Amino acid sequence: MIHQSLLRYRGGRYLWWAVGLSLGSVALYATQGGLQRHNGGTWQGYTLGTVGALLIAWLALLGIRKRSYSSTLGTVQGWASAHVYLGTALLVVATLHCSAEFGWNVHTLAYVLMAAVIVSGFVGLYVYFSNPSVISENRSGGSRGALFAELFDLDARARELADRCDPDTGLAVKSSIERTVLGGGVLKQLFALDDSRLMLAEAAAGQGTRLVSNTDQQTAIDWVAKRLPRAEKRAEAELLQALVGVLCRRQMILRRLRRDIRLNGWLRAWLYIHVPLTIALLAALLVHIVVTFIYW
Amino acid sequence: MRALLRQLRQTANRVAEYADTQIVADAITIGSAPDCHIQLLGHAVAPEHAVIRRSGSGLNVSARGGARITVNGAATSSSRLAPGDVVEIAGNRLSVLEQPPGFDAAFAVQQRADVSKSEFESGFRTELEQTWLSKRRTAWTLLLLVPLLAFAIPLATALLHRSGTVTPSWVADDTFWSAGPLTAAHAQAVGRKCEACHQQFFVHARDQDCRKCHDQVRDHVSPAHLALTKLGPPGRCGQCHEEHHAPGGSLIIRDDRLCVACHADAHGRFGSLEVQPVTGFAPGEHPGFMATVLEPPGSHEIERLGSISRGGGGDPEPQDWRPVRVPVLSGHEHSNLKFSHAQHLDGSRVQRTSDSKPLGCADCHTLAADGEHFAPIKMATACSRCHELTFDERSPERQLPHGKPRDAMLMIEDYYARRFSDPTMANAGPVRRRLPDSPVVDETCRDAPITCATRRAVFEITNQFTRRGCVSCHVVRDNGSADIHQRYEVQPVRLIGDYFTDTHFNHRLHAVQKDLTGDEACLSCHKARTTSESSVLMLPDIGKCLECHGDARARNRVTLQCASCHAYHSQS
Repeated sequence: MIHQSLLRYRGGRYLWWAVGLSLGSVALYATQGGLQRHNGGTWQGYTLGTVGALLIAWLALLGIRKRSYSSTLGTVQGWASAHVYLGTALLVVATLHCSAEFGWNVHTLAYVLMAAVIVSGFVGLYVYFSNPSVISENRSGGSRGALFAELFDLDARARELADRCDPDTGLAVKSSIERTVLGGGVLKQLFALDDSRLMLAEAAAGQGTRLVSNTDQQTAIDWVAKRLPRAEKRAEAELLQALVGVLCRRQMILRRLRRDIRLNGWLRAWLYIHVPLTIALLAALLVHIVVTFIYW
Repeated sequence: MRALLRQLRQTANRVAEYADTQIVADAITIGSAPDCHIQLLGHAVAPEHAVIRRSGSGLNVSARGGARITVNGAATSSSRLAPGDVVEIAGNRLSVLEQPPGFDAAFAVQQRADVSKSEFESGFRTELEQTWLSKRRTAWTLLLLVPLLAFAIPLATALLHRSGTVTPSWVADDTFWSAGPLTAAHAQAVGRKCEACHQQFFVHARDQDCRKCHDQVRDHVSPAHLALTKLGPPGRCGQCHEEHHAPGGSLIIRDDRLCVACHADAHGRFGSLEVQPVTGFAPGEHPGFMATVLEPPGSHEIERLGSISRGGGGDPEPQDWRPVRVPVLSGHEHSNLKFSHAQHLDGSRVQRTSDSKPLGCADCHTLAADGEHFAPIKMATACSRCHELTFDERSPERQLPHGKPRDAMLMIEDYYARRFSDPTMANAGPVRRRLPDSPVVDETCRDAPITCATRRAVFEITNQFTRRGCVSCHVVRDNGSADIHQRYEVQPVRLIGDYFTDTHFNHRLHAVQKDLTGDEACLSCHKARTTSESSVLMLPDIGKCLECHGDARARNRVTLQCASCHAYHSQS
């Protein structure tokens, strides 16, 4: 599994790098005090700041390295492993650099952006650990395309069965297929929100139709299921029975697809924070450095 | 608007069928979203693709934000619709029909029947990339916003402030670059004006900017003395005073190493200045204490610190008294005052007049408000409760004026002139019990009254200035003059106000020491019970301090830093 080898790359080599870097930073920090007050303005502070800034620049380079397929400068896996461990160590380095002094200023802005990038990275690491196995299990070893293909077939089968039912059932089932919501906007993908609807004929004939909620396809299933006891012929009962079966199978496939979209969404959502904030961090870092020397 | 919607479909066995539905709405929405009135599938259909509204007596279709529609084969973004027109959206056909009675409009919708499996899947938005989220766009926005808000705007405001332009308070200024809050006093004085201290970009806050306000602060070493050393120019204010660490951090860096850096190697760098080396506050690392006392004219004590000039006051040649530094244990003070602490603290010899108990330190010494110094001891308040300046037992209410020797002589002469000439006074008045140390005076005189009076007055003046009276406490110089008025000179008292200038010591904090309180605490440092000479300084040396204190390295000691006792900026 990629995520395991990410952390155990070469026996966790970069874990020891990160531990060494953190301990070194703590030791350097401890030499401040008294004459050298704990802050970024001492030689220890400048050293920690320089290490932190170089680390940030290098960590950001992963974005370039992983796109350079022809590069032979280490493996992407090795880079990613170092990225995770040294990125975590950066939190230690930067906190010691500023001696945990914060305020409403550009320096703290850079720190907050950095912390946000690192925390979003932790979220990313967490979903890389937890989601793939759940995704695989949810797909029963198949692909998303296979689920969609089955849904496509089920839709066709349900339409076919619905065509043979009474017009109201036909309208309900076919509109429920047309108005099935899968994915969609950010929130719908990430939280598997389902505002599927279906169209029902008004009770009084000729009074038009109305759209009603069909979350989780339950309204459509209930509609057909309620028709079942009232079936006058055996053939009709069998038809409705088959239709309920198809709709229930369809409900299950839709649930799996929604879960798949949600899990995959989270697998990538953190990058929408991590990447733009990294760019913002690089800008804030540059401002922080320039401003430090403007008023030093 | 009431519209009839006819959906044309082919059933599985290729039989055409239609289903009519009725829509009542102000506008008919078309798109892939499930809540649209007319839902069309396919990846080219936007969630809200187009909308149909009534326009006057007819209908109008308009595409939503960049969506593509064709009306009768012509691409458009908006078009009027008449019966017979055909709107095409991504392969789906929407035909406008003649409206039946009771309806405002009628449409026939024919959806694409050839949706493939792959197209079917792509009709759903299942990836975040298909939403409004965009890493690239957000990154670009932030890349512009951060330098603009955090750098460009504060820089522009800073430059405007420097040119004297006032900017609204809500506009971000260079305080956004502040490394931390200022100390409260500086924050009040400077406010948001960074340029008050940071005059030039990329240059440290300069001493001259500090001195704009702190113009009375003296250098640690005077320029004249500094020129004798190899120390070079003094350090920046910012070396010891570090701002932007409020409220937690102090403005002053009090680390001993700042002092020891120079003072440890005193001989190497101090040139011809005699400075004892200091490496810490521990035995052998700090020299013994030197007290500053006043040196009388003509003597040549250890170290001259320059003459003092007190100006006015009528003291004889005060400029000749010089402050000198002497070791606290072996040095002496020539104050022209005679006083025995041992005698006064001996309860068998001296008691308070009020309750007949032994004297305590506080009977004479009053701690000043600063907790360090003591109020000057005055004859009128401290001594005269016991020591009256009477001179004749027959007239115990008559006291000589203190501090005015000539007036005292005249008073003695006047008194005896009257006593020997006024018959009513000759033997009048009660004769008090004679004091043991007062001389036995033969009061019989058979000469002329003025002769007797003069002789008696000279006798008493001589007695006051040489045997008892003034001479008990003061040094009196006999110049042998024939004129009795000129003969005796009471030497002025020369006590220095502060033995340790430029150092701090808080007596109040030391009023309780371990298990010692009150006078016992005072006497643990000042050996007053055994000191009978006023020339002895009675000051403790460093060993006494080291009993309880030490520097940062010492264990089980109250830590003292250099700055705990020493002032860096000279106050004298």
